[in-house]
Parts: sequence; structure tokens; C-alpha cells
Amino acid sequence: MPGIDECLLEAMALPGARGASLVDWTSGLALGTAGDSPVGCHETTAAETAELARSAAEFDTFGARGESAGNDGLAGAADDDGPGGGPHVEDLIVTTRAGYHVLRFVETSFDSSVFLHLWLDRDTGNLALARIRLRDLAERLVLG
Amino acid sequence: MSAVATPVSPMLVRLAAEKATGALLRDHGTLYLVDGRIVHAESPAAPGVDVLLTTGGRLPREGWDEAVDRAGAHRAVGRFLVDSGRLHDGELEICHLGAVFDAAFFALSPTSGPTRFRYGVGHWFGTVRPVSAEAVERETARRRELLDAVWPYAAVDTAPVVPRPAAPGQTVGARRRALLAAADGKRTPAELARLLGRPAFHTLLDVRRLAAAGLVATPLDPAPDPAPPPPLPVLPVADPDIALLRRLRDALEAHL
Repeated sequence: MPGIDECLLEAMALPGARGASLVDWTSGLALGTAGDSPVGCHETTAAETAELARSAAEFDTFGARGESAGNDGLAGAADDDGPGGGPHVEDLIVTTRAGYHVLRFVETSFDSSVFLHLWLDRDTGNLALARIRLRDLAERLVLG
Repeated sequence: MSAVATPVSPMLVRLAAEKATGALLRDHGTLYLVDGRIVHAESPAAPGVDVLLTTGGRLPREGWDEAVDRAGAHRAVGRFLVDSGRLHDGELEICHLGAVFDAAFFALSPTSGPTRFRYGVGHWFGTVRPVSAEAVERETARRRELLDAVWPYAAVDTAPVVPRPAAPGQTVGARRRALLAAADGKRTPAELARLLGRPAFHTLLDVRRLAAAGLVATPLDPAPDPAPPPPLPVLPVADPDIALLRRLRDALEAHL
């Protein structure tokens, strides 16, 4: 597969999909978008979801298994990150009254910080299916 | 968030409108356009795709060099990296887009220098995923605001990064911990970006976040302007490609 657009189109083919994007969580940049944004602006959604993803990626609580590394006394967890420095968190799910949001981290073998964001309609979306497919898409995006 | 109120570069807006193809040369970098859309950007301040891909070991340096040798003349290095099985489409797009927005941020930084456009000039990397000039303008403006929203002291962008001891119990994420570990008190954010194989803007942003958290020192003085280069005398030269000359000078100085 697939480049970014094909990947987002596949995500949009899931039942109940309303919007999808590939976002850089350090900068908040949307590298690609498809469908709608809940606030009518993909760039705003990207900046906001990036903050959420960054918190999850960097909080120790969601890091490795409690080991901490010293750097001037800095506590920290995830020292056995992948080659791309990817977070230990796999995905985030936010449930709202009207929808679901699934954020899936993409692991690359060069330094990057990107995730896929899929917005689903609460009534027609299938969260379990979406989560599995998004994991699959995130892998194929970089592994072919 | 529609149109940018004050365009970052009025010339870029005009070139996009006329669907121009060529290279926009500015003091701090170059944007390459095809039919008014941005297909590539480079800046001495931002690590190129080669640095991003080879530093972490994703691509051996020889693999990159061979791709440039074999496909550079056809302006299709990016395509060649994928077609020869060295990279996957998604990886190429993620890495290249990141590099383009990164270089564009610096290329479009405020400058008093001249801006020139060379019609028809292309880049050997080739087209991967063109982005609209408007999107690049908007993102560049957003990035400037973001830096100042995080920690409004631009002095940390260019000064050597000096780590400060953490408060008891203070934590920091893995990416920024790696940045702190590489900060030896001499390296600037741009040097750290190159060393770690990360986009330069991401490094600036992380340094500002660290400074805001008190984990990196913020220079008191706005770094006593490193003897601001005397305003270049505007000489009546036949073909004063001053932007190019200044970029050459910057590149040479970067290797001093």
C-alpha cells in the first residue's frame, strides 16, 4: 500500500467513519486529512488531538513498566523505546455522546511522532472493528 | 482559520495564484513550486530528508547516495527510494512532508533580504506529495504563534542548550529526555536536531517546552546580537543574486 491518502480512504470506508487524519503530535500538523472535522477545521482538530496524544505519549504513567532512568535526577519511564523513539502507548479512545475518536500511534523506523485519528459516528460506528483496522492500517502505512 | 491575514510571503501567494513552476529563493531557504504547489523546500537551518532517514539508521548512507546518483538527474530520487524497495510510500511521505514543512518554516522566516524566483527550476528530489502554498503559509504562521505561546523567549532558539536540574519528582517524556541527554551546553537547537535526526522546528519547540518547564536555561539577554552583520551594502551589481550569496555564506559559516 499505500501512501497517506490511500490509508485515510481505507479508514473512511469503515462503518460510521466521519473523518480521518494523519497528525504529527510534536507540532500539531495534519499531514493528511479525509472526510469532516468535528469542528469544521481539520487543522484545529489536528492541533487539539496532537496535545492529547503528546500527553499520553509522554506521561510516565503510560510509559514502560515502571523503570526509571536518571538524568540529573529526572524520573522517566520509556527508555526502551523503539528505534523511532515511539511511545509505548498504542492507541487512545475518546468516547463522546455523539461519537468515538480513535487515535492510533504510527511507529516508524526513523525519528517521527505521528498518529492516525479516526472519528466515528456513535450510532453507526463499530469501535472494536475500527480499533483493529486502525492498528492494521498504521502498520501497513509504514511497512507496506 | 481560513486565509492568512498577513501573508508570510506575498510573493509566494502571487506565485501560487499564477500556478508558477520554479524555485523561490529567500535568505533562509528555498521553496520549489510545481504549478503553484509546493513540492520541496530546503533550508540550511533544517536537516534534509537524507539526515532524517540516515541518522536513525532507517537508510544506510550508501543507499541514499546511490539513489541520488541514479535518480537525481531525472529528478526522481524520492520515487526511486520507493521503487527500489528502500522505503515504503507511507514512510517517504511522512518523512518528506515533515522535512518540507520544516524547511519552509525557516525559509519563510522574516527577513530583510531579497526574494527571487527562478522560473522553471526544479529540485532533484522530485515530487512526492505536493502541498498548497496556502497550507504552508498557514502552518508557518501557526508555528510562529505556537513557539511564542509555549515560551515567548526567542533567545533559546539560537543559544546553546544548557540543561538545568529537575525539581524533585519532575518528569519529562522520552523524546525530550533524549534531547536533554544530547545537550552538552554547547550545541544549539539546530545542531541537536541534526545530531538526533529530527526536524529543526520540532527541536525548537521541545527546547521552548523544556525552557518553560525550567529544564533548560533561558538566556537573560536576547543573546547580545552576535554582532549583527552590517546591513549588506546594496551594490550596483549586474546580477545581484544576494539571497543565494547570503545562503552560501550561511552554509559556509555553519561549517566553521
